Amino acid sequence: MQRIDLNDILQRTVSAANGDLVTRRTGQRVRAAIELELGAEHDGHVAGLDFGTVRCLDLSCADEIVGRLLREHGEARFVLLNVTAAQRDAIEFVLERHRLAVVVQDAGGALDVVGAVPEPARDVFGALVAGGALAPEEVARRLGLSSEVVRAALDALRERHLVQDTAGAYCAPAVA
Amino acid sequence: MTRVVEVPAQFDDRSFDQFAEAYGDGDGGRLLFDAHASHWASPFGLVGLLAAGQAQAEGKRERPLLTLPADRDVAHYWTRAGFFRHATDYFELHGKVPRVTAGGESDVLLEVTPVRAAEDVHGVVDRIQERAARILSHELGLEAQATMGFAMALSEACQNIVEHAGTGGWVAVQTYNWRRTLKRRVVVIAVADAGIGFRRSLEATQAKRYGDRWSDATALEAALVQGISRFRDPGRGQGLAGIRRYLNRWEGKLAVRSGTARWGLVPPWDDDVPLAHGLPAFPGSQVLMIIPAHAGDGAGHATH
Repeated sequence: MQRIDLNDILQRTVSAANGDLVTRRTGQRVRAAIELELGAEHDGHVAGLDFGTVRCLDLSCADEIVGRLLREHGEARFVLLNVTAAQRDAIEFVLERHRLAVVVQDAGGALDVVGAVPEPARDVFGALVAGGALAPEEVARRLGLSSEVVRAALDALRERHLVQDTAGAYCAPAVA
Repeated sequence: MTRVVEVPAQFDDRSFDQFAEAYGDGDGGRLLFDAHASHWASPFGLVGLLAAGQAQAEGKRERPLLTLPADRDVAHYWTRAGFFRHATDYFELHGKVPRVTAGGESDVLLEVTPVRAAEDVHGVVDRIQERAARILSHELGLEAQATMGFAMALSEACQNIVEHAGTGGWVAVQTYNWRRTLKRRVVVIAVADAGIGFRRSLEATQAKRYGDRWSDATALEAALVQGISRFRDPGRGQGLAGIRRYLNRWEGKLAVRSGTARWGLVPPWDDDVPLAHGLPAFPGSQVLMIIPAHAGDGAGHATH
């Protein structure tokens, strides 16, 4: 997976920055730099945006960087890494407005899906994170949901490339 | 001829309408802003007073006079808050500006700071983070998540100046004891500019839709309730909505005054009104955010 350190890009593109992804203009510059890096790799694979050394993330930057990247390149193209609770808050706020979602990993390695995802699908995703590759019936059993609800949730998550389907078993994406 | 504009003795968001009425349209000769009787000015009052001076300068009117507070402690506080450093650009000061020695604990988290460009917002966020984290968690007893959202709310409020005001503005942050209704410690963010205001900012895209109802009040409602921006990009208009969500979560207050109207997110501990119109006109926009300390034992918890 191509890993893009956002603070590194920030330092290269905005001289006034101190690890803070704030202001729309900064977001536009950082996004442009990310797109240059994505373009250079030419592989179309998933890219990890690493928030590990970013301090503040405001909504304008979350919108320009995460919102617009996902809108223009697709939800499946990105995973957000080392996201803090406050950064997740800003990202979720922005993505809900755009009706988008993305897989995020916190500093402890825990995976989750953030954004416009209905409750059953969130629970299903959580079950896959906890249980590994699972068949729909097993997910339904673990969550106490009907198979129909679980299958619908898995289909929706798969269509958005937020989960992977391998021979009838579903799993959360692998984040290297 | 000199016209006197009295600065209220207790100069905050509550007395701002009185100040705006006295200021009028800024015309009528050279203005003398009389603060000699002032015994308290909140960050909102200080940035509002600077906005008045800014409006005079940008309207190419004669440079106004400002009489300093006679009370030396009050004048001392205005100095510590950074007011006079910028007031000299807009006012001819009458009275001696006290000297302040640096260091020591202070209620001033962020001195009055000009905001004109994105770099200024970066500077504000950079300066506030460590102090805010310490004060919000230790003094106000709020959860870590509250301190992390604080910088976001401050950044978004400042960006509204850069993106929409058409001119520069001011920001100041301070903690103090809110004695009136809450009887708790609060942190206050005040942002002000003497720019075009919400109504003119949204006029080109929204006035036709509202017809005769288009006003300062409906412009505030469009921006703050419906999240409408003058930019058509679907990602726009989220800043104020994000500030609302943050303050609502921590039982905070948000008040935005523009022109002749004021819109408020009013928490249970405050007795303000959600929407006031027909107020004395004042140029630009003024934003007030208040985050209270948690009441009771332990860290403050969000309300959702």
